[in-house]
Amino acid sequence: MASFLRTLIPLDIYGGMKLTGKYFGKVLREANRARIRTHVVCEYPEVPVKLQPRFRGRLTLLKDEQGEIKCICCLACEKICPTQVITIEKGKKEGRKLPYPVRYDFEMERCIFCEFCVESCGFDSIILNHQFELAAYNREDFSIGMEGRFQNMFELSPVARYSVAEEAQR
Amino acid sequence: MFVFLEFLVFKTEEMEINLGPQHPSTHGVLRVKLRLDGETVVQCTPIIGYLHRGVEKICENKTWFQGQVWTDRMDYVAAVTNNLGWAEGVEKLFGIQVPRRAHYVRTLLAELNRIASHQLWLATHALDIGAMTVFLYCFRDREAILDIFEAFCGARLTTTAFRIGGLREDVPPGMDRMVRNFLKAFSTGIEEYETLLSENRIWKKRTVGVAKLQAKDAVALGITGPVLRAAGVPYDVRKAFPSAAYAEMDFQIATRPEADTYARYLVRLEEMRQSARIVQQCLDGLPEGPVMAKIPKILKSEVCEVYHSIEAPKGELGYYFVGEKGGANPYRMHVRAPSFVNLQALPKMTEGNLLADVIAAIGTLDVVLGEIDR
Repeated sequence: MASFLRTLIPLDIYGGMKLTGKYFGKVLREANRARIRTHVVCEYPEVPVKLQPRFRGRLTLLKDEQGEIKCICCLACEKICPTQVITIEKGKKEGRKLPYPVRYDFEMERCIFCEFCVESCGFDSIILNHQFELAAYNREDFSIGMEGRFQNMFELSPVARYSVAEEAQR
Repeated sequence: MFVFLEFLVFKTEEMEINLGPQHPSTHGVLRVKLRLDGETVVQCTPIIGYLHRGVEKICENKTWFQGQVWTDRMDYVAAVTNNLGWAEGVEKLFGIQVPRRAHYVRTLLAELNRIASHQLWLATHALDIGAMTVFLYCFRDREAILDIFEAFCGARLTTTAFRIGGLREDVPPGMDRMVRNFLKAFSTGIEEYETLLSENRIWKKRTVGVAKLQAKDAVALGITGPVLRAAGVPYDVRKAFPSAAYAEMDFQIATRPEADTYARYLVRLEEMRQSARIVQQCLDGLPEGPVMAKIPKILKSEVCEVYHSIEAPKGELGYYFVGEKGGANPYRMHVRAPSFVNLQALPKMTEGNLLADVIAAIGTLDVVLGEIDR
């Protein structure tokens, strides 16, 4: 008898519709107001994403205040890297006592963004920056060096520099 | 009479079809060869190997530290638990004592990952069976967990969260608040999933009594995790062989006696609640102190072997290491992947049932193909 009544009276459907109706009403009330707190999604290309401070993005070489590259070629990052994406060539430079990286090659297509290299670096000379827009048209553009046609180890990638929000204003 | 005549005119025969490997309901690249008699499954053969990357072989050539990044890519919806298994296995092999605070943070993150994994399971399983709304609700709540992972270690899915000997860094300043906010949202969120599904008549028609796997068969096949507990066997590695901070936590093992798809759904929901309880306890009782033990820069093993297992969201996840003398990397590494073992139950669950229930059976096993093929 109880199960028959349950079949007859659609309480389960009513409960489900009530829940979806609650959210539907909420969206209707708040959709076009600038109350970001209640929004679940973010309007990504128009509004830049807020990343956490520890976000692991693309590898970047750092320079000190004089504009000198901090890296002293200890090769710790090259050794710890699980996918062997870093190649460093040691060299000398006029007026610098410490070794200087003549070549610092980074194969981004194979990088897995694990941050082991940054962890192993004893001189804080590399970081993973907050870039995640790393697309390129050619395969060669993923091999990043000290100077590159498309992007290099110091600057942001062209995709990251491009902003939809700025273009909309133009 | 008409049926009889039809039988005379049209010959019936068994038909063999492929479900997958590109079918959206097989959760990846699982291929299931089905022999059908009408709509009834006569024989069911899962065929795997489309996502094989050779993780076990790769890890033989990587140091004890480096191998962890490959565990992220095995069960990619529960990467933190995979990291936990690797880190604890290696620590067991070298006899490293991890600080108590690190244990607590590890437990916290692993339980959050269990909730995330079960939410993804519920979302996709409900979507397979035909409930679209739950998918959106689950993904909304799961996002908060991924944000917590991003705050802690910098990545959302391929976390590489732990280090051998503890943690890389202490928890970030705002994480405490993030976790508390998530727990508050989750307590209402799980009520919403239940409102949408538990009493829903379509959901019950599709799950109650479907894809049964009795306790006897489950134990014989080596099934672990929620599938075993839904058959009434209260086996949980967290209770049986407690690692990390599980020995100090107060939680219950969720079991159900019915052994069908609906029971597995209820068990997973209850597990999510228990996980939320553990997270709350970790957060309240988080001890002060260091998070990293003193370990040498290069780990060199002796001749040894170690098996360490933890409770992953899918079941018992075991790591087996063999070390050689002076080895900076494992001589042999083997993973007892829960999804791989659980998939063996698929023929038992589906043979003799309808074709539509195969989808429910694959969903309820909660298989992740990255872990099966490795």
